[in-house]
Amino acid sequence: MKDNIFTELYNKLLGFFRQAEEEESTKDVACNRLRVVLMQDRTNLTPQLLEKMRGELVELLSKYLEMDKDALELNLEQEGEQMALMLSIPVIRAKDETEIEKALAEEEAKKMAEKNAEEDEAAEETETEEELEEEDLNAEEDAAEADADVESENETLNKDNPKKFPNKEICGDCRECEFSDDIECEKKIPSKKTAKK
Amino acid sequence: MSGRVIVITSGKGGVGKTTASANIGTALAKAGNKVVMIDTDIGLRNLDLLLGLENRIVYTIVDVVEERCKLKQALVKDKKNPNLCLLAAAQTRDKSAVTEEQLKDICEKLKKDYDFILVDCPAGIEQGFQNAVAGATEAIVVTTPEMSAVRDADRIIGLLEAKEEIESYRLLLNRVRPNLIKSKDMMSVEDVVEILSADLIGIIPEDTGIITSTNKGEPIVNDEKSLAGRAYTNVAKRIMGEEVEFMNLEEETSVVAKVKKFFKGLMVKEK
Ligand SMILES: Nc1ncnc2c1ncn2[C@@H]1O[C@H](COP(=O)(O)OP(=O)(O)OP(=O)(O)O)[C@@H](O)[C@H]1O
Ligand SMILES: [Mg+2]
Repeated sequence: MKDNIFTELYNKLLGFFRQAEEEESTKDVACNRLRVVLMQDRTNLTPQLLEKMRGELVELLSKYLEMDKDALELNLEQEGEQMALMLSIPVIRAKDETEIEKALAEEEAKKMAEKNAEEDEAAEETETEEELEEEDLNAEEDAAEADADVESENETLNKDNPKKFPNKEICGDCRECEFSDDIECEKKIPSKKTAKK
Repeated sequence: MSGRVIVITSGKGGVGKTTASANIGTALAKAGNKVVMIDTDIGLRNLDLLLGLENRIVYTIVDVVEERCKLKQALVKDKKNPNLCLLAAAQTRDKSAVTEEQLKDICEKLKKDYDFILVDCPAGIEQGFQNAVAGATEAIVVTTPEMSAVRDADRIIGLLEAKEEIESYRLLLNRVRPNLIKSKDMMSVEDVVEILSADLIGIIPEDTGIITSTNKGEPIVNDEKSLAGRAYTNVAKRIMGEEVEFMNLEEETSVVAKVKKFFKGLMVKEK
């Protein structure tokens, strides 16, 4: 009898302690939130940038895996001195070889097309410059014709390549460099003014 | 003589920089060091109050840099301890009244006559912080175990690490409440140290005695019975290079842990 009461009490107490242990304490919540926010503070990786990274990773991995894209989780975690990028993806199934090859071939083709378009554009740009230089010497009518030529060429080019404003596309978040030659940007496409120098 | 210049800083305001400066300075002086404290919180001076020197200030740091007095004239000696003196901040000016160069210069001059120059830094990461840090080679980063204070401490540590002149920095964890840590409602010392991955110089408990000692204008280190006072004395010892064990504020009061242990022991017997 005595034993029973005692065991009951003991179990109750143990249950109480267990519950307290299992429930996430507010200080654990604080620690976890802090770790995440410090990671962002230290790396300058904003939630927006992490989201962009997530999107790009989904695109990359979709070539090989069929997965639950919305459930892909991307987190920065600190493990001692080391910072780690934790990626968790629920995989629905791995794609088979032919599918992967197809995806890769498609991508390759897309890349080639883009590259060609870029080359054309670059070539055209130097052409335009030459034309513009000639323009100074030649009659004004000729110049007007040449301009019209360039414009129509540009139009056909833009049909293949949706990137209508290549400078803006490539230079996503530093618009300033488009407007100023003083700002250095590694992704900057030389403007005509600097290209001539 | 070439004294050590230590800046006491935090990022977040109100976490206990000035209280720490007053107590560490007093403890260092009591141990026989020649100590000068500089209040760089121009416009919001408080160090004079905590030391009970507010009525004896004639010249301030701004008077020194604007050459209305000599540096020595502006140093106010402590009532009890002739080893300790204060260079007060001006109350009617702002942080731009003194430049980094000028503070560096003052620290260089004081180094010749003092063992320790403690610089009480204003809150924030702006010019006031830059000024305070300018002459220092060591730093004490004060924080409480609260998220916002820890986050700001991390920011300050980042800035200190980028400064070549700062050779070392250590963490002072203030207002620790063992009861809250026990109930897992406050980050523990280990948590904060791990998150900031910084070395610890001291742990100061939350202590109402800090408030009463401020009322009297007498640093709590003068009260040898108080827990916070002893903790500050230990900080001063560690600064002087002594190895002093950290007080375990949690252990003594851990009744719950004992009860649990008792029941666990019984469970083993039952089986
Ligand atoms: N260990 C402690 N226990 C209880 N109260 C404390 C403790 N440390 C500091 N305080 C109280 O916290 C308040 C702020 O302290 P203090 O002025 O030293 O902070 P500070 O970091 O210098 O502030 P500021 O950023 O405004 O300069 C004061 O009222 C002080 O009494
Ligand atoms: Mg202060």
